[in-house]
Amino acid sequence: MSIVASTVLALSACGSDDTAGGGPAELQFWAYNEPSGAFRTAAEKCTADSGGRYRIAFQPLANDADTQRQSLVRRLAAKDSSIDIMSMDVVWTAEFAEAGWVAPFPDDLARQVKAESLAGPYDTGTYQDKLYAVPANSNTQLLWYRKSLVEGEPPKTWDALIDAAEKLPKAGRIEIQGAAYEGMTVWFNALVESAGGKILESPQQVGLDSAAAVKAVDVIARLANSQAADPSLSSQKEDQNRIAFESGAAAFQVNYPFIYPSAAEVGEDFQGDIGWAPYPAVEEGKPVKAPIGGFNFGVGAYSKHPKEAFDAAICLRNEENQKVAAAEGGLPPTIAKVYEDEKFRKDYPFADLIRKQIEDAGVRPETPAYADVSLAIATTLSPPGRVKGQAAVDELKQKIQDALTSKGLL
Amino acid sequence: MSTPASTVAPAVSETTDPGRVEKPQKKALTERARAERKLGWMLCAPAALVMLAVTAYPILNAIWLSLQKSDLRFPGQSEFIGLDNYVTVLSSSLWWTDVWHTVVLTVISVAIELVLGMLLALAMHRAIFGRGLIRTSALIPYGIVTVVAAFAWRLAFSDADGGFMPGVLRSVGLLGAETDPLAQTSTFSTYVVAILAEVWKTTPFMALLLLAGLALVSDELHEAAKVDGATTWQRFWRITIPLMKPAILVALLFRTLDAFRIFDTVFVLSNNGSNRSVETVSVLGYNTLLSRLNLGLGSAVSVLIFLCVVLIAAMFVKGLGTNLAQQRGE
Amino acid sequence: MSERTSKKVFSWTAVNTVIVIAALFPVLWILSLSLKSADTVTDGRLIPAKFSLDNYEGIFTGSGGDVFTKALFNSLGIAIIATLIAVTLAAMAAYAIARLNFPGKTVILTAALAIAMFPPISVVGPLYNLWRQLGLFDTWQGLIIPYMTFTLPLAIYTLSAFFREIPWELEQAAQVDGATPFQAFRKIIVPLAAPGVFTTAILVFIFAWNDFVFAISLTSTERAQTVPAAISSFTGASQFSAPTGSIAAAAVIVTIPIIIMVLIFQRRIVAGLTAGAVKG
Repeated sequence: MSIVASTVLALSACGSDDTAGGGPAELQFWAYNEPSGAFRTAAEKCTADSGGRYRIAFQPLANDADTQRQSLVRRLAAKDSSIDIMSMDVVWTAEFAEAGWVAPFPDDLARQVKAESLAGPYDTGTYQDKLYAVPANSNTQLLWYRKSLVEGEPPKTWDALIDAAEKLPKAGRIEIQGAAYEGMTVWFNALVESAGGKILESPQQVGLDSAAAVKAVDVIARLANSQAADPSLSSQKEDQNRIAFESGAAAFQVNYPFIYPSAAEVGEDFQGDIGWAPYPAVEEGKPVKAPIGGFNFGVGAYSKHPKEAFDAAICLRNEENQKVAAAEGGLPPTIAKVYEDEKFRKDYPFADLIRKQIEDAGVRPETPAYADVSLAIATTLSPPGRVKGQAAVDELKQKIQDALTSKGLL
Repeated sequence: MSTPASTVAPAVSETTDPGRVEKPQKKALTERARAERKLGWMLCAPAALVMLAVTAYPILNAIWLSLQKSDLRFPGQSEFIGLDNYVTVLSSSLWWTDVWHTVVLTVISVAIELVLGMLLALAMHRAIFGRGLIRTSALIPYGIVTVVAAFAWRLAFSDADGGFMPGVLRSVGLLGAETDPLAQTSTFSTYVVAILAEVWKTTPFMALLLLAGLALVSDELHEAAKVDGATTWQRFWRITIPLMKPAILVALLFRTLDAFRIFDTVFVLSNNGSNRSVETVSVLGYNTLLSRLNLGLGSAVSVLIFLCVVLIAAMFVKGLGTNLAQQRGE
Repeated sequence: MSERTSKKVFSWTAVNTVIVIAALFPVLWILSLSLKSADTVTDGRLIPAKFSLDNYEGIFTGSGGDVFTKALFNSLGIAIIATLIAVTLAAMAAYAIARLNFPGKTVILTAALAIAMFPPISVVGPLYNLWRQLGLFDTWQGLIIPYMTFTLPLAIYTLSAFFREIPWELEQAAQVDGATPFQAFRKIIVPLAAPGVFTTAILVFIFAWNDFVFAISLTSTERAQTVPAAISSFTGASQFSAPTGSIAAAAVIVTIPIIIMVLIFQRRIVAGLTAGAVKG
């Protein structure tokens, strides 16, 4: 027994990380490994600009949001003080804030951020009127298509899109996220909202009024069972969509704009052949409620340097860094002014469309139980080829209700 | 990972050197015997206490948690709710689906392993040359990290990961042109790959257990039967198998319990649990506990898994007990 | 007769070949995959079209940082410490069980057996909950302690089986011949017990090296994450490069120590694994 005890003691001695007094505050910045390196660049720039107040060390998280969240919440529930700044998916705010894992920004900083940000993205960082995470980048999906394959105007509704794809003699596929993960919820939410419904009426109450929800399920089922569906639809995420589209197997793709800079690496010709159109509507004439995504930067509740961390978080997404992230990583900015920038508009030819969609977006449900709600949706609608209208909606309602009260296996 | 054959000595505990066991005579316990007893306890105490601390405490804690509403995301809302979590789990179709997946994987893999393990054990036992070679080869799957093995299988079979097997299977017409064997919709092929991975990894273990049993079958009996004109087949069924029955039962017990808690292989094959077509109870417990941080509900799942394991063990031990008793009674 | 012998040789060669191929094929496949260059890693070919060591370079020096090297260090450290503790505690218990007479040894062995069958998922939740409160989450100790659930029973069983084989009378004989009890223990018993202890240590190490459930549940960063957990969450050099090549290379690296141990200690491992069973 004493052996165990002494080993444990010896180990804990070498495990602790002391921060020396004086010198710059060491801030750990946890975010997904943004491929263009924009986050790393931002961390270096802000460190240099801080004049020795802090030093930001970039720490990569996993690539998909579900895994990032798992790793963060597990550590936050264990009061991990090494999380100073974290990149939070826009849908995590309520959960993290309610659990007390993320520290609210001081009012003066919040006001400053609010003044320069687009309203939609700013709201995703707030919970009960407090700012918990500063909007770093927004995101929305567009309908991308190959100009050489699609004649005339790109389709405006989901039905028209599927019809158009099915008519194409070859490569008539639509690439979209159909795996049982957050991406499925993104799709479903956009469909429900565009059909005029809501997934949640309030943080405690299920919405999904039948007509809109059934319509949304029908779109998913129709696409999944049409010839336009990718055979791996049920396991596809954003990046598989991009790869399939780049390989020439698909004429259409519903995805985030990161695919555009990536296409340049395939070839100038290929990038030149890509066209974009607004996110499809459920019904012609009804307003489109496109998905809104993106990441906000929050400060861990157990950080030892909250003051520096708040300033650093704001710096990491300042105008200059957002321009870099937009140009190199294809990440839509959250600061209104960046959309006016000449260089940005050149790199980002669809800037106005993106901004418009972000402003009229269909925000995903805001509830501390979001992760469970989303899991309930993704698993119920998966595999997408087997979902059936009303039955799926009834099941969804039941499961979401359980999720809201943290009951039920998912 | 499988528990090694060394644990297969339940008989040891019952027959610990019968010669040595003196009937403890209370009145005449000599000074020496008392000192020996004390030393024995002292030497065993650290190991016993550690084992108790790392298992009994957590399992009791799990039982306690399973009676609570306890979700780390809602720290203020914990309360005692009795058996509600069990009602939730047992009335959920997902639990039963996952139990089914687990049972299918367990039964089929263990059955295949028993047959292949027996063949491998016979080969190891009888080989006229190259025993060292086959033993070494067989130990590699056994020793390899389960996650690594699972990745080898996943990266071979998954179309999304660019494996070579889909191409091979398509060329012989066993796989549709556009089917990914490890996709959410391909339940059957996911089962097949999971079972292949399990069988590959644990057949050597089964074989080693059976090999130990084979060593107990005396050659004289075989010779005698041969003289009486019994064929190889007859001798195998009439002599080898009955004599090996305890070893087979023990091997089955260990593998069944081990297979029932299968986690690593399924977790990796399903792309970290995202493809749920063959999700097992352990993966479900993990997701509930550590992804959702719903400790109450997750603990109910854990306790139920624990009870399943106890139940399986009890059935086998009963079978083993009657078997041993029969043998002794002869 | 000679024809029969050659027929036998032939059929055994066939049997042995089948066994060796079946056992090694997946390992060779992952090796082949790890040697593919980045652009051919998902080409679906069995043999690399272009050999390259890029994947190995990637996991040791790549832009993914030192995730893998740190994990390797954690794995080694945690497995070695867990092995030392388990074997030490188990050796004491096994010595008592093999040599001394005391009531309760059956209980210890039965308990060890029962605990070996414990589903780890049943204890992982409470452990996480406790560790997060004690500050043991994502630390070495936080893994070493739960590793006792499987290392200790394994060590106790294997060691008791080995120790039962030791001719303890020799010790007394040496003492009769004038050796002190300590000399007798050191000169006679230690050499006799060492192989068993060593074999047990190898087995325990392999088990600790292999753990996945505890590792992904109770660690999270490079502070304590072991290789199996790190591999399962590899991200690739960037978001767009699939981590397949890195996974394969890391898989090969962690398999090397196992293969070396199996090659060198094949006899001992088999003896260790079957020691108890033969006795039964």
